[in-house]
Amino acid sequence: MTTQSRVLADVRRGMIPAHIYNDAEIFALEKERIFSRAWLFVAHESEIAKPGDYVVRRVLEDSFIVTRDEQGEIRAHFNMCLHRGMQVCRAEMGNASHFRCPYHGWSYRNDGRIVGLPFHQDAYGGEDGFKRKGQRLLPAPNLGIHNGMIFLSLDPGAPPLREFLGDFAFYLDYYTKQSPSGIELRGPQRWRVKANWKIGAENFAGDMYHTPQTHTSVVEIGLFREPKAEKRKDGCTYWAGNGGGTTYKLPAGDLDERLRYVGYPQVMIDRMKETWSSAQCKVVGNDGFMISAASVFPNLSFVHNWPRVAESDDVLPFISVRQWQPISENETEVLSWFAVDAEAPEDFKALSYKAYLMCFGSTGMFEQDDVENWVSLTNTAAGSMARRLRLNSRMGILADGTEVAPALTAEQFAGPGSARTGYSEYNQRALLARWADHLERPVAAAATFEVGGDGQGRGTAERNGDDASDESPALDDVPSETTHEITGA
Amino acid sequence: MNTETHSSRSVLGKHASRIQRIGTTLPFGDERHLEAHQWLVDESYLLDAQAYEQWLDLLTDDIHYLMPVRVTTALGTGFDTSPGMAHFDEDKYSLSRRVARFLTEHAWTEDPPSRLRHHLSNVRTFATPDENHLVVESATLLFRNRGDVRESSLISAGREDLLRRASSGANWQLARRTIMVDESVMRMQNLAIFL
Repeated sequence: MTTQSRVLADVRRGMIPAHIYNDAEIFALEKERIFSRAWLFVAHESEIAKPGDYVVRRVLEDSFIVTRDEQGEIRAHFNMCLHRGMQVCRAEMGNASHFRCPYHGWSYRNDGRIVGLPFHQDAYGGEDGFKRKGQRLLPAPNLGIHNGMIFLSLDPGAPPLREFLGDFAFYLDYYTKQSPSGIELRGPQRWRVKANWKIGAENFAGDMYHTPQTHTSVVEIGLFREPKAEKRKDGCTYWAGNGGGTTYKLPAGDLDERLRYVGYPQVMIDRMKETWSSAQCKVVGNDGFMISAASVFPNLSFVHNWPRVAESDDVLPFISVRQWQPISENETEVLSWFAVDAEAPEDFKALSYKAYLMCFGSTGMFEQDDVENWVSLTNTAAGSMARRLRLNSRMGILADGTEVAPALTAEQFAGPGSARTGYSEYNQRALLARWADHLERPVAAAATFEVGGDGQGRGTAERNGDDASDESPALDDVPSETTHEITGA
Repeated sequence: MNTETHSSRSVLGKHASRIQRIGTTLPFGDERHLEAHQWLVDESYLLDAQAYEQWLDLLTDDIHYLMPVRVTTALGTGFDTSPGMAHFDEDKYSLSRRVARFLTEHAWTEDPPSRLRHHLSNVRTFATPDENHLVVESATLLFRNRGDVRESSLISAGREDLLRRASSGANWQLARRTIMVDESVMRMQNLAIFL
């Protein structure tokens, strides 16, 4: 693998080598140094509400069964039979107390423990030949949950999820905690686009600049109360911890009035006021900023908007959670969920879902034009000319580094991190700076696990401070051998 | 009649007509089948040509247009669509906004337009308890190509339609459509098309 130090240096000064959006070598490095290390969203607890409920989700090529076991604990098992490596569960959702491999019939409880091994005595000579006791499907090396959002990391030494999110957790609450019950997640719609995964993440992180142009049509057809998409520049972008996003500036009013303005009924507003901190209330109520799109590094995004959903002046807000799952350097599987406060009135949930379908997802009128741009960009980035081009991603700063607009003060913006009104690319630069940090840093060799041998192992379970570990030793304790050498950048 | 339909089980289709088929497939020589088949062929040409305003006129005011999200589930699970989610779960208003958007000069995803061909087949027509309603099943294969370097993409789907006419001799209109797509993960960049 060649050194990419020149590319990383260019990215850090906001001059983006265009080929990073379609480059097999860069993608190989991303797989190794981002997706084998970062916390990656896989599911929400509401998708597996009852014991035995499961969904099967991927972290790149690795399939995981994300399930709630009979004790109610959330687990993520690597979806590979310990015997010959067959995929154990071939459905993508359902409810099961056990998973049985179709090849030779090994079976596992939904907590991962092996329970059925045909002819254990006759074939292996019992425990002396194959230590069945304590064997379980390989757990994800690290599992973390925040606001019901389940994340995996393939790095057993990953910092805790809450630490990874950092101050972005403040903003995550607007999307995923509008009441003590949090959200319910529906979907996902899944489809493949011939676009590099970074483009969507960058766009949602901070691109207010594209709205007036790309999304002209949805304004023209009267989907929004605000007549001009140029209003976007009155909003602010913010970056905090491991993520950032965009906001709209709302008309004058107090917290209740502003939340009503975007279409929330009073019963939901009352719960938001009980659930959110005073600073979270102030961002909307005093400062007048309403969250819209956002991204968490590396590939998780959110969107919140409030279109008309019928022939009426009323608007209805919706929330979508989406993941840009890389397939290759030029293809991404989009997973797009609809999210809604679990305590919301049923008629609100239905109309919010309608708002989502009209705007985002596989049929969404915003998303249609976004994807067209991203596919085209990716295609153009493949050739040799793209290697000569450094795209200017320095919007918001002058050549000498001076800021075009100063950061908002604590009096102007009560949220953590750094916020600015107007168009800029601070957030895209922050996202790609993290990208560069990850690509620069080699990953430690992963431990290996010998099935049925002396070594017994599982990853550590981590749940935002709750001790969820069990009697099994941590993966660190497994006698390991280095599987491959990593060359530094 | 109060039986379950895909629409009645969906989030936004409670308003849709619940009229169901009765009996077996009408003979291919039956006048009702011929009318239904021709209606679908004519509609396919409108969709290929992106003549969406004319297409909208073919829909009743209480149309429910549904395309569930298909999921892979184990045999015997009892469902193969994502609960509470769909690609399309539309009424006349939301369809009219989609059509209106294509008529602006700023719907970039279809400018330049895709080359579309809806291949229609396997048409079966069923009578209903009401002579002014027919249930029609069909298969459609949509071929879509854009530009010069991108690979073409396909969507294969089965459809169940409820056709209605105001009175004997009047034109048929679409009152309910369920599109059962044959992929759990779509291989098309967006659904800026209709099926």
